Amino acid sequence: MISPIHIISIGLGTAFALGFLNKKSNGLAVSLMLVAIALMAAVSSSWFIKLYQGAEAIEVYTAGFKPPYSINLRMGLNEALLSSLINLAGFLGGLYMFKNLKNTGKHAIMVFLVFVMGLNVIILTRDAFNLFVFMEVVSIATAGLIILIQDGKSIQAGFKYMIATGIIAGIFLLGIIFAYYFSGSLNIDDISNSNLLAFKGGSVAVLMIIVSVVLELKPFPANGWALDVYEASDPGIAALISAASATAMYFVLFKLMPIADLQWYKIISTAGLITFVGSNLFGLKQTGARRLLGYSSIGQLGLLMTILGLKPFLGDKFEYIAITILISHYLAKAGLFWIAGLLKKDKLKDWALLRKKPLFLVLFGTFVFSLIGFPPFPSFFGKWELIMSLSQQGLYFTLAMILTGSFLEGIYLFRWLGYAIKMESNESWTFKLEWNKVIPPVLFGILVYLAGYYSSTFAENFNGLYFIALAFILIIYLLDFLPAAVKNILSILSLALVSWYMLPGLYSEDMLRFIFTLIFLVGGILTFIAGFAYKGKREGFYPVALLMYAGLAIIIRASTTLEFFFGWELMTAGSYFLIIRGKKSMAHGLSYMLFSMAGAYAILAAFGLSFAETASIQLSSLAAVGGNITVIFSLLAIGFMTKTASLGLHIWLPGAHAEAESDVSPMVSAILLKAGVFGLMILMIAMGNNPEATRVAYVLGWLGALTALVGNLAAAFQEDAKRLLAYSSISQLGYILFALAMMSHLGWMTAMVYSINHFLYKSILFLTIGAVVLKVGTHYMYKMGGLIKNMPLAFIAVLIGIIALAGVPPLSGFAGKWLFYNAVIDKHWYFQGVIVFFSGIIAFLYLFKLIYSVFLGQLKDNLRHVKDISIWFAIPIYILIIGLMIFSAKPDLVLKPLGEMISVWYPNAGLSWEGGLATAPYGYWNGTGVMITIGIMFMALLGWLLLLSSKAVKVGQFNIVYSAEAPQRPETTHVSYNIYAGYNKALGWMVAPKITEFWDTMSDWAHSLAEYGRRLYSGNGQVYTTYVLAYIIAFYLIMIF
Amino acid sequence: MEYVSLTIGFIVIIAGLWAIMTNRNILRMIIGFSIFDTGLHIVIVSLAYVKGGTAPILDSAVGINEAIDKIVDPVPQALVLTAIVIGLGVTALMLAYAMKLHKEKKSLDIMSFRDLKW
Repeated sequence: MISPIHIISIGLGTAFALGFLNKKSNGLAVSLMLVAIALMAAVSSSWFIKLYQGAEAIEVYTAGFKPPYSINLRMGLNEALLSSLINLAGFLGGLYMFKNLKNTGKHAIMVFLVFVMGLNVIILTRDAFNLFVFMEVVSIATAGLIILIQDGKSIQAGFKYMIATGIIAGIFLLGIIFAYYFSGSLNIDDISNSNLLAFKGGSVAVLMIIVSVVLELKPFPANGWALDVYEASDPGIAALISAASATAMYFVLFKLMPIADLQWYKIISTAGLITFVGSNLFGLKQTGARRLLGYSSIGQLGLLMTILGLKPFLGDKFEYIAITILISHYLAKAGLFWIAGLLKKDKLKDWALLRKKPLFLVLFGTFVFSLIGFPPFPSFFGKWELIMSLSQQGLYFTLAMILTGSFLEGIYLFRWLGYAIKMESNESWTFKLEWNKVIPPVLFGILVYLAGYYSSTFAENFNGLYFIALAFILIIYLLDFLPAAVKNILSILSLALVSWYMLPGLYSEDMLRFIFTLIFLVGGILTFIAGFAYKGKREGFYPVALLMYAGLAIIIRASTTLEFFFGWELMTAGSYFLIIRGKKSMAHGLSYMLFSMAGAYAILAAFGLSFAETASIQLSSLAAVGGNITVIFSLLAIGFMTKTASLGLHIWLPGAHAEAESDVSPMVSAILLKAGVFGLMILMIAMGNNPEATRVAYVLGWLGALTALVGNLAAAFQEDAKRLLAYSSISQLGYILFALAMMSHLGWMTAMVYSINHFLYKSILFLTIGAVVLKVGTHYMYKMGGLIKNMPLAFIAVLIGIIALAGVPPLSGFAGKWLFYNAVIDKHWYFQGVIVFFSGIIAFLYLFKLIYSVFLGQLKDNLRHVKDISIWFAIPIYILIIGLMIFSAKPDLVLKPLGEMISVWYPNAGLSWEGGLATAPYGYWNGTGVMITIGIMFMALLGWLLLLSSKAVKVGQFNIVYSAEAPQRPETTHVSYNIYAGYNKALGWMVAPKITEFWDTMSDWAHSLAEYGRRLYSGNGQVYTTYVLAYIIAFYLIMIF
Repeated sequence: MEYVSLTIGFIVIIAGLWAIMTNRNILRMIIGFSIFDTGLHIVIVSLAYVKGGTAPILDSAVGINEAIDKIVDPVPQALVLTAIVIGLGVTALMLAYAMKLHKEKKSLDIMSFRDLKW
């Protein structure tokens, strides 16, 4: 093995040697520099491999003496890992800046090399003074690199940086000298062993050392200088500062913490937490990419600092948590800065330009998701362990703050991602890609996935098979150049394969999961069939749709809370991208994401609390929760209700569903929402029998009833057909929530029947209306009308859909209603029951409006030649109709086994079956019989009508005497426009957008807080210096009290 | 009396910080930084002082056996040299920055360099 000291000698030697090069051979100089860094990387990574395989850490004594007589370096596993990371970033960063360095000349190249070398020494050295020297070397090198681009801003930033770090380094030096004075050694281990805190002066030494290293980590609010550096320096340099320097400085704090005591750990964790939350809050108001990344970098460092401060509480989990989060930050932040450098547009809104190079859009998304801690990235697993450990230790406040900070970070990062995906873009812009600038971010993008997989192998009870699904999605992504039809076939096959694999086992074992699998996966296949209607490549659609289905399949299969959460987050990510694909969906995508994130954090916190009680992450262990049950139950319910879009958490839904593409609407409505239902069922199965949970469920019941009412009422006032269906989904999910909350046999039967029904008819309706919209080119119902003759297939589908939705016999909607009334009577929830009953009547209003305004009435001139819906939509629609018919005629096929399953939890007051005849405590019902009776009545009536119609007078369209509508007049006179104005006058107040206003106000407050807060950073270098000193004094005051 | 130089060192440090924080002129700030640095150096050397000690040179005047009681600690003296050199480097770079800043806006007032904020 090559001694680690040669990392330094290679770096320094090459830097000196470069001085001998001819002035003109700058290209050669950069190449030599890269070779040198590559060699350094080779040395450090070879050590990493060796140490990883179990070799002992080694010490290098530089002058042949043992410390304290000489400086010693240590190469342990952590050191090897971090120095490899630094050298990798240095190499790629150098490659990225090849031209820049070449044009600036060999002095810049030398400085760059010294910078990388200095960071290595900072990692390796165990000598405090040596540490100081190389921190100064790096600081000077950084100041040199900041002015690689010489504009006014970078010079200003560099000067502020120098003054601030100059003072910080001075304080650090003072601390070291005092530490030496009291311990008699400069060796860090000797200093830690000498128990400095026992001396009065010694604790001042500890203060000065720790506070100055903390200051190097840019704590809020003493970090104005750092923000400026991130904003003004070359993005290539900012990438290195954010990834490599921060990594090194973090390790310094890690190295030096042993000189302090528990009290100091607490201070560090608080300082980090304040930074994490403060920085991410101020990030909300940023409009420039690089400054935003600066805020985000500082926030992430704050999080890392918190984790270090929590080290005594995290025990042996500390390294895993710190390294996973550090690596995610390292890869993502460098990648983002590199992309920022490629794009050369600093305004966030201009990032729409990124769409021109889809690869970079994907990388951008990857980095954003890995920063926030989504699966499959390392930070997901790190954050999971962190939250579990925090709740185990009872550190609830820290837990809540970390989730708050992450949420704030999510707001601005996802808004930014939304801009890149959807913002209007100036078409004339373009950006050039040079290979040396492409390789680094691409490589880091690949690495972050690999690191994610690797991190997952450490997680307990985590099924690595789930990564196969992700690998498949990756393949689909790589095949994105193929026509949509091919990818569609592959996607259908993959879902079919998974269904084939999952369904048979579930049918006999777990009816609940069987039904949800049917809804998720078979529903997925059917909606994919509609995708054949789309021509072209449909870029990016299939990977994200499959991602959502993979997430859904995983939550079914999950046996641990970790797996469940993993699937949940994948599903969220996939559906986010599906939703934001819609034409005007930028804002809807964001609000969906924010509600989902908040919900996911509620779920995460609840899983943490449950782990703290039961010491198990098995999903089944939720049932063993006793103490905190109200909190855990409520948090989980809130989390799941963000997906079921219950009242208060529903504002994302109408826009998201209405603006989505025609075949996506059913995916995110009929299918996705059921994930929330599934979650609620899992929750209630586990905890439902507890009296405290029952109390929460009572509230949920009311919430469900009100959701049903408000959803239906709002649906009745819509002019947009897809919005109408979206509000209708909200209310249907309200029914389901209500039924679930009853926590009785019949209640659950109702919930399941409603879930199946909603899946069936909402898929039918959304697919049909979506297909109609594709043909007529508008969502607005008053612009349609009279389409019955042009689109008989669509008309029949909608007719059947609304019959099922309305709960009128003979279709299965009636079965749901019948069960519902039985359940309500059984449960004595009369008040709520009346509300739901009332909202059921309102449903007739919008259903009538839907079918009347679209298919009946006057045919519009421009739609005279419109054809029926695409066959590719008709196929899944009619398959679903057949399914609906079977379910309506033979409900016992599903309900019998379902009843048996529910009896496990609620043995009493179920249905008793005799063939197709179901008997409940309050009546009986026979699906087949109802179907036959109604069928006969229908045929009889139809025959009667046909008989009569032979005498009827045919009325032409323009015979306005008969048709009750003036053709070709503005839509305001259209009979179906604002058809329920009267109801609106009476009941409209109930659907006034109060809740939307509430959330808007919350958002405004957060943004104004950020706006005022960030004025702390006045831009004045002197003020920043004052903050630094004030920070030191604050630490001192905390220490003495 | 042995704390005189240490006290002076701290006073110089504080004077340097005071100069950095109260002078808006960049050159004066840099001078303030230099003073701060010098204060640090004084403190380092003073800490090494042993009452009545002599220079850390082992010769006929101080033998190896009695060295530990009679000489001042040589390590900080060695360190301070390094610190001085680093301070020089930092100051020089700051001055280079001051020059660039002046070129940029024809001003040395720190208040005129607030383009980056919030």
